[in-house]
Amino acid sequence: MCQNNHTSSNPSHFEGSQEEKVLAQSIELNFMDYIKDMKFFDPHIHMTSRTTDDYQALADAGVKAIIEPAFWLGQPRTGLSTFKDYYNSLIGWERFRSSQFGIKHYCTIGLNSREANNEALAEQVMEILPLYVYKEGVVGVGEIGFDDQTAAEEKYYRLQLELSKEANLPVQVHTPHRDKKKGTLLSMSIALEHGIDPGMVIIDHNNEETVESVLEQGFWAAFTIYPFTKMGNERMVEIVRKYGSERIMVNSAADWGISDPLAVPKTAALMKIKGISEEDIIKVTYQNAIDAFAQSGQITQQDFEIVQEIDQSQKFNGNTILRGGQQPRIDKNAIIIR
Amino acid sequence: MSVADKIFRLLSENSSPKESDWINSKIAADIEKLPSAFVAAPRFISKNPVDVSVLFEDSKIRTWALDKLARGFLLLKIDNASKDKYTSVIESLFETAEVNEAVALYSALPFLPYPEYWKFKATEAVRSNIGPVFDALAFGNPYPAVHFSDLEWNQLVLKCIFNDKPIHLIEGLDKRTNRELADSISNFAHERWAAGRTVPAQVWRLVIKFTDEKITNDLQKLFLSGDISDNYAAALVCHECSFEKAKELLNLYPDLSAKVQKGELTWEVLEV
Repeated sequence: MCQNNHTSSNPSHFEGSQEEKVLAQSIELNFMDYIKDMKFFDPHIHMTSRTTDDYQALADAGVKAIIEPAFWLGQPRTGLSTFKDYYNSLIGWERFRSSQFGIKHYCTIGLNSREANNEALAEQVMEILPLYVYKEGVVGVGEIGFDDQTAAEEKYYRLQLELSKEANLPVQVHTPHRDKKKGTLLSMSIALEHGIDPGMVIIDHNNEETVESVLEQGFWAAFTIYPFTKMGNERMVEIVRKYGSERIMVNSAADWGISDPLAVPKTAALMKIKGISEEDIIKVTYQNAIDAFAQSGQITQQDFEIVQEIDQSQKFNGNTILRGGQQPRIDKNAIIIR
Repeated sequence: MSVADKIFRLLSENSSPKESDWINSKIAADIEKLPSAFVAAPRFISKNPVDVSVLFEDSKIRTWALDKLARGFLLLKIDNASKDKYTSVIESLFETAEVNEAVALYSALPFLPYPEYWKFKATEAVRSNIGPVFDALAFGNPYPAVHFSDLEWNQLVLKCIFNDKPIHLIEGLDKRTNRELADSISNFAHERWAAGRTVPAQVWRLVIKFTDEKITNDLQKLFLSGDISDNYAAALVCHECSFEKAKELLNLYPDLSAKVQKGELTWEVLEV
């Protein structure tokens, strides 16, 4: 989630040669060449806010599965029903929409920090969350945590940590834009205070300032490659160079802001160009996220790794059309629309 | 044997000891907790395919995943003594259903108590854009043929055709044909033809009993189509209808006529 799209770009932490710099800047034209036959898992992407073009682009780039965390939709909700409908869309319509492009869709369910500040509504939302966290394909409680770091945010963060414990689900923790370091440290210490295994907690939107303490304390460190406000992928390469690939994962957090749904495959391509080992790339753009969220018991890697013509349980009388079919492709450059 | 008993037997025959234990523990426990057991079922029950044909009156083969079968069973075990209470419990399951839950609910609809009560819900599945949810109500499910009005029925069939789904999987398709539907098929075909598109040949089985002057013109067009499936469909309609002019039309195509007479050509050939 981004709230202020600053127009200034990320401070450059790029330390490669001038030649490498030019290469890195021209990579968007042909990044796919570097990641042929690779598969990716984006553990944080808000497809509700994206178009079908994005789904096609994700599928083309090798993204096999995604996690859509429940978040703030850009304006505050006015009642419980809209929360309910939103959660329903994460386990219903969006899941189906994604399947039409051959992408396995999981989600995390939670009350986001910003709307936790509307306490009257937050109370009601807390009551319905247990109805959702036990659903198939719900791989965690998220994204929850701090935004303005208010008392109300802390209250609902704590309550949802307890819910995750009860449901034995991983937690996806959003860290604030302002006063990030303080917010991140506080999020972790509260989780530990609640007796939650740091191995069940994914601390999201890390940067150079937060990563060390997150890894040191045994939490998973997720990095959001998001233009202007979060990480750039050149900086990401340097992080992996410095800290390795243990418990580190990359996501796009693509949403209604200026963001890039292909951030994960693009970052993999850049890592490849810049000499990061294939093993490390696989870990940070695929396997680590799966391992972290599979602790929910809701991810079956085979579901998206083995390309099956059809889910056997959905097959009627040997007829395969019933899945709803894959979406037909259109040629974007064609002037004729049929 | 009640449906619940039949389902229970299928479950026992197809579950592992661990799965059976879970199911038994749920029916032995507090009845109020059955709805949450419905939600949790896939955490404890596999998705192995089970032949559930014995649950239905006709002999068509139907396969359900084991967890769907278990969910159907749990729905039938929920206390239904009070209609208001029972329907509100099921309604709340519908309201928060993820895709597989909605599929289980719609598949179980023909077996639920107070069947008339669920009609609006059933029409909501026809309006659904989520493929598996629509399919659960539309295909291999006796509920619509028994409970839908003509208007609701026609909507189901037309939506199927519009979305290129296989109408022959709709239960009671041949029994529920009607004049309105036949007209809609003809109009739909005209629209598609005007756009340079086609209609699946088997949809013409819906017009047989209502073949008239206008539909005979459509059949004429089908005989002239370059698609052999269209020719077959036209021959079958002409053969099976009782409109004289259409029957005569078939005589113009002796090869097709012979094929139909000999029973070599049936609607099954066109079921795709």
